[in-house]
Amino acid sequence: MQSNHWKIFLATLTAVLGIVIGWQVIEPQTASADEQTYTFATNNTFEPFEIQDSKGGYSGKNPGIEIEILKKIAKHEHFKYRLKAMSFNGDLQALESGQVDAVIAGMSVTDERKAKYDFSTPYYTDGVVMAVAKDSNIKSMKQLKGKTVSAKSGTSAALYLKKNQKKYGYKIRYFDSSNTMWNDVKTGNTAATFDDGPVLQYGIKTGVPLKIVTKKPIDAQPVAVGYQKGKNLELQKKVNDGIKWLKDTGQLDQIINKYTKGNGTTKTTAADHTILGLLKTNREALLRGLWMTIELTVVGIIFAMIFGVILGVLGVVNNKFANGVSSTLIYIFRGIPMIVLAFFIYMGVPNVIGHKVPLFLAGILTLTFDEGAYIGAIVKGGFESVSQGQWEAARSLGLPYSKALIKVIAPQGFKLMVPSLVNQFIITLKDTSILSAIGVMELTQTGTVIISQNMEGFRMWTIIAVIYIIIITLLTWLSNYVQKRMA
Amino acid sequence: MDKKYKVQVKDLHKSYGSNEVLKGINLNVKPNEVVCMIGPSGSGKSTFLRCINKLEEPNSGHVYVDGYDIADPKVNINKVRQKIGMVFQHFNLFPNMNVLQNVTLAPVELGKMSKDEAKKAAMHYLDIVGLSEKADANPTKLSGGQQQRVAIARALAMKPDVMLFDEPTSALDPEMVGDVLEVMKRLAKEGMTMIVVTHEMGFAKQVADRVVFFHDGDIREQGTPDQIFNHPQHPDTRNFLDKVLNV
Ligand SMILES: Nc1ncnc2c1ncn2[C@@H]1O[C@H](COP(=O)(O)OP(=O)(O)OP(=O)(O)O)[C@@H](O)[C@H]1O
Ligand SMILES: [Mg+2]
Repeated sequence: MQSNHWKIFLATLTAVLGIVIGWQVIEPQTASADEQTYTFATNNTFEPFEIQDSKGGYSGKNPGIEIEILKKIAKHEHFKYRLKAMSFNGDLQALESGQVDAVIAGMSVTDERKAKYDFSTPYYTDGVVMAVAKDSNIKSMKQLKGKTVSAKSGTSAALYLKKNQKKYGYKIRYFDSSNTMWNDVKTGNTAATFDDGPVLQYGIKTGVPLKIVTKKPIDAQPVAVGYQKGKNLELQKKVNDGIKWLKDTGQLDQIINKYTKGNGTTKTTAADHTILGLLKTNREALLRGLWMTIELTVVGIIFAMIFGVILGVLGVVNNKFANGVSSTLIYIFRGIPMIVLAFFIYMGVPNVIGHKVPLFLAGILTLTFDEGAYIGAIVKGGFESVSQGQWEAARSLGLPYSKALIKVIAPQGFKLMVPSLVNQFIITLKDTSILSAIGVMELTQTGTVIISQNMEGFRMWTIIAVIYIIIITLLTWLSNYVQKRMA
Repeated sequence: MDKKYKVQVKDLHKSYGSNEVLKGINLNVKPNEVVCMIGPSGSGKSTFLRCINKLEEPNSGHVYVDGYDIADPKVNINKVRQKIGMVFQHFNLFPNMNVLQNVTLAPVELGKMSKDEAKKAAMHYLDIVGLSEKADANPTKLSGGQQQRVAIARALAMKPDVMLFDEPTSALDPEMVGDVLEVMKRLAKEGMTMIVVTHEMGFAKQVADRVVFFHDGDIREQGTPDQIFNHPQHPDTRNFLDKVLNV
């Protein structure tokens, strides 16, 4: 009777796991018989090259220079493509691990990269430019003596500033995002900022009150599509043909000018930027992100619980080897920062197993192992805190170990665990935000994308924070209710 | 192994690290016999009792229960334990079940009875210990004396051949002790084989067929209650009795 329960439990577990994996692996096959589908890694919004719409996709009117180029080339050269949006570093890793066929992500062609990758014909030249406030009379770098200038840390602009600091005698301040950096110039804290030409041009076009004073971009570098060396030669040829065609027909300049010439033309109205307005315009995107967060949390908790209970039981059974396995796994997965685990599963494992790990599955696996390890420790601790006398009473009646565990120890242990488990569930919900690092479009990632379009960092993060607090409150209520019913 | 004994212990040794707690114990218990074990704290009484149903693993020696050697790895210890009821100082009722479920759990889970039979049997034993009206209560809501009587009913429900009691009344308020001892006397009268570790000298005098005096991991002296209480031979026994009887 009792062993039947376990069998049913295991069968269900296998079935659910099977469905989830199957569902992830069988991606919709959109390619028609004669048109090959290629996967391109690209950036999460990197204006003006990539601009995600409010759903996190690239099907808006202004999806960005590179997306428009790719769309035209694919149509002209008869192939289909699928986009994977990640951080730039994620793009490069995905290319190396063979998760994608090509990278189109404002990738500049450097000698170092040429040694490692193949590149298409360049379609753009990217370089650092200097911008100042609209009403500033600074025109050249000679006027910067004693003043503060800014660049994003780690960029070629930052390197350039560092190199020439002695010569011009300015102070450098580093920023992480363009928005805050530009704002600092607007408010007069910094005299000038150095940033990617197209990025700044697009910003100015969409209403940032700065002006570019550099005539020719500094350190100009060509931008092109990158491939694994010697791979996808057919695709490489098609893309090069397409670029040539775009150049010859003048379409390339057209696309680029659309995003970089003029200023303030697509400024959004002030009304949109109240909290309510932001909620209204981004309602669909936020709901989608929220739903993904909930999905990750629920599925993640289910699998983390299964993994955790297995670890917990292995930790208390009468078998030194099982105990060792349990504490080792708990030790390892608790020791790895979740973001590293996510990168490892999504970008490391494919190198070994030779095929891609679907994004959602990677997210769930990350949650399962990381949160499962914590749950395992909780379950083990809960079982161990049931008094020894309970074991002895159960065993002295002749109950075998497993029956004593299931009938007597586990029910008491779980009751002791409930508060810690609820706490862990809430942590799981919050931890889903870490999966934004591999590009899962959950709530946090949705926020990042929206903000890169509307620059409303303060208000948008407030909205996102409040949403998290609301669902955590609901989860807490729910668990309190369940706890009361159980007592 | 001798068929005429219910429990036969031969040269039983048990150590915790370098601390030898049982130093070669020999003891035979006949069917229907009531053996009371007395002795100072730390002399090894509990350890001895727990070796009989293998809650503690002996280092050497043999323990035969109904002819099965519990030290033999081929013997299914769970089967043997079904024949040995044990009652603990701290009752150890299962707080996640009500009184009735505490009593029916083992017979049902071990396939000895159907649910209905087990329920009927459980009510019978709860009646014996005077608690049939508490069947639906949560054990944590009962007094210590009531809990201990439920624990006795729980052990009886497996229809054991031997009952082991480890100081069943020493965690109880004095006014509760009588009820529990009454139940134990009744069991003794009905012919249950019992090994009882106790500090209740009155009970030992009145009920025991034999009293065993433990001292320092060994049996110093044993005999009828009259021999032990009225004519103790060993100075350790006299010493101990002086202390416990004259406080
Ligand atoms: N699990 C254990 N680990 C180490 N030493 C133990 C353990 N259990 C008992 N002992 C030691 O074994 C000795 C005998 O203990 P035991 O509990 O059998 O004595 P007792 O006669 O039942 O005493 P009391 O009357 O106090 O219950 C004591 O010295 C005790 O400290
Ligand atoms: Mg004791």
